[in-house]
Amino acid sequence: MVRRMAVPQNPAPARLMPGLRRAGAGALLLLLAGSPAGAQDAVGPSLECRVPGSQLYTVATLPASKVALTEKHALRILAVGGSAAPGASASYPVRLESALEHALPQVDVVMEHRGLPGEIASGAAERLRTLVAEADPDLVVWQVGTHDAIARVDPGAFKDALDDAVAWLKSHGIDVVLVDPLYTASVAGDADYNRIVDSVKEVAAKQGIPLVRRFEALRYLASRNEKGESHILGRQFRLNDLGLRCMAEHVALTVAASIGQTPPPAPKATPTAKPAPSDSPG
Amino acid sequence: MREPNAIDFWRGFALITIFINHIPGNTFERYTFSQYGISDAAELFVFLAGWSIGIATRQRDGTPEPRWRSVVRMLARTVEVYRAQISVMLLALAIIAGAALILDNPLILEWHNAGNFFADPIQSVCGMALLTYQLGYFNILPLYVVLIGIAPVIVLIGRTSRLAALALSVGLYLASLVEEWNLPSWPGEGTWFFDPFCWQLLLTLGFVTQDWSRTSPAFRLWTRRLVPLGLVIVLVGITLSVLEIRPDPLMVPEPRLLFTLEKTFLTPGRLLHFLGVLLAFAPVYALIAPRIGMIVGFLSSLGRNSLAVFSMGSLLSLIGQLVRFQTGGGALIDMAVAGSGLVALGITAWFVEWRSRKTPRPRA
Repeated sequence: MVRRMAVPQNPAPARLMPGLRRAGAGALLLLLAGSPAGAQDAVGPSLECRVPGSQLYTVATLPASKVALTEKHALRILAVGGSAAPGASASYPVRLESALEHALPQVDVVMEHRGLPGEIASGAAERLRTLVAEADPDLVVWQVGTHDAIARVDPGAFKDALDDAVAWLKSHGIDVVLVDPLYTASVAGDADYNRIVDSVKEVAAKQGIPLVRRFEALRYLASRNEKGESHILGRQFRLNDLGLRCMAEHVALTVAASIGQTPPPAPKATPTAKPAPSDSPG
Repeated sequence: MREPNAIDFWRGFALITIFINHIPGNTFERYTFSQYGISDAAELFVFLAGWSIGIATRQRDGTPEPRWRSVVRMLARTVEVYRAQISVMLLALAIIAGAALILDNPLILEWHNAGNFFADPIQSVCGMALLTYQLGYFNILPLYVVLIGIAPVIVLIGRTSRLAALALSVGLYLASLVEEWNLPSWPGEGTWFFDPFCWQLLLTLGFVTQDWSRTSPAFRLWTRRLVPLGLVIVLVGITLSVLEIRPDPLMVPEPRLLFTLEKTFLTPGRLLHFLGVLLAFAPVYALIAPRIGMIVGFLSSLGRNSLAVFSMGSLLSLIGQLVRFQTGGGALIDMAVAGSGLVALGITAWFVEWRSRKTPRPRA
């Protein structure tokens, strides 16, 4: 896979590292404290989406994305799965792109979104390979598991297929962020559903990739006192809307925090080669 | 009502396979032939559609019907399939929304890309009418609308020269593979799940081979001689799919689509495998038909009424998925879902034929 040429889109390269640190640290601080203070200057989530970091994500390194930042070329992101448009005015891909450009002001984010209907355990993983070959991304943000959980596929088969797919992406030097399934009250105690959620978590841990813990985050939001507007179809539907609305912010936080943790790439001897996922700081 | 025959039999077979495969995770999925090869029932279905066009546009003695009649016939069929897709999509969305409401579970709204519709009905309803908005598993009929819509061109050229029709079709196919031409999805990004520019080749192949098998003794001789080759291809397909060996789309040379096995583009590997399956299994009907009369009758009745059975099958498989979700699945549930589904498909076919017998001819 050939890397694209760097695009001179960055007006202020000198601010790169301090800006990044501020963004990452601000976001973390805000999340952990759960306090509204500093909401203006940090890239934190909006009030309705605020979740403690421990319940929102696990961070891990994103080497290919870090290279994009360091070399100042566009960060190409393929967002996979889920619907594109909770609210036609600001769809998930548009929100994610702007949230990321806000969190990483020194990089131009190029976002593509593809729905991935079907189950990972039966066919959709193959479809993902096609989508990746077409989009040639640095980073894949993958909302995964809801279809398989609803279709009641065997969690073991799901986990194996997901693990294969993530390993394949990593073997091509593509970063992956997983987003686990949505939460709603009727699945809270559903053993199979929870096993799918756990499988996503286990694959993320095994492969050492960031995870947006949407299930936990939404459970947390569900337990909070509701002060917002109500939903004509009831509490669960309101929560679901909230989950979809907040997802872009939650993903952006996870990506920003993960890139912040990623050591800078080794001095480039071969600027056209993708770094290996295990690239050490240098 | 036609007597049972090989075409209707195999079409019925493809319909049942699609029905089962559209309830992912169910116990019977692993017993369908799609799990043991590179191509699957979708290829069979489209090929047989082309074959049927060949039959439908000729009289019984083989003389072609007047051109205008063929064109109008296919346009009428296009409208019929379009109408089926719109009805099925609407009902599928209603089933999904209804289930979400009754079960108080908004997650169901996200299923099969339905989330787009509920989040953005203004654009989605336009996309539905334009066929550019397709739910997951509800993407074969849009392909069909386009294919039958362009079929008059294939048929009219094919009447002058079968080779010319085939050459044109292969040309479009190869150009689409190299240039990655496809129709767009909208709203949302991406392209159609079934690329009509590529899949049209199967329709043309069905149409042309039907004509050859009717008129050319040499063609019939060679299809018999090549049965062993077909068997080898089938065995290779089984081996590759069981061992999960397939080319890596990021490792193959350009143009990528000539070397991968992607369903969207009916890539050459899939096409070759399907032709092998065709060679290997074409003689099977004559061997088994006398022994399994009941099954042949049942599958043929499904195949004769393929549009109604397919439409009903899509909805039944969606309902089957919801039943599996709510009950937690398991072998017993799967048996009940698949069994009642097959009965319902049979009733659908029976009902369509009963209605067409009962309906008085419209007065001119």
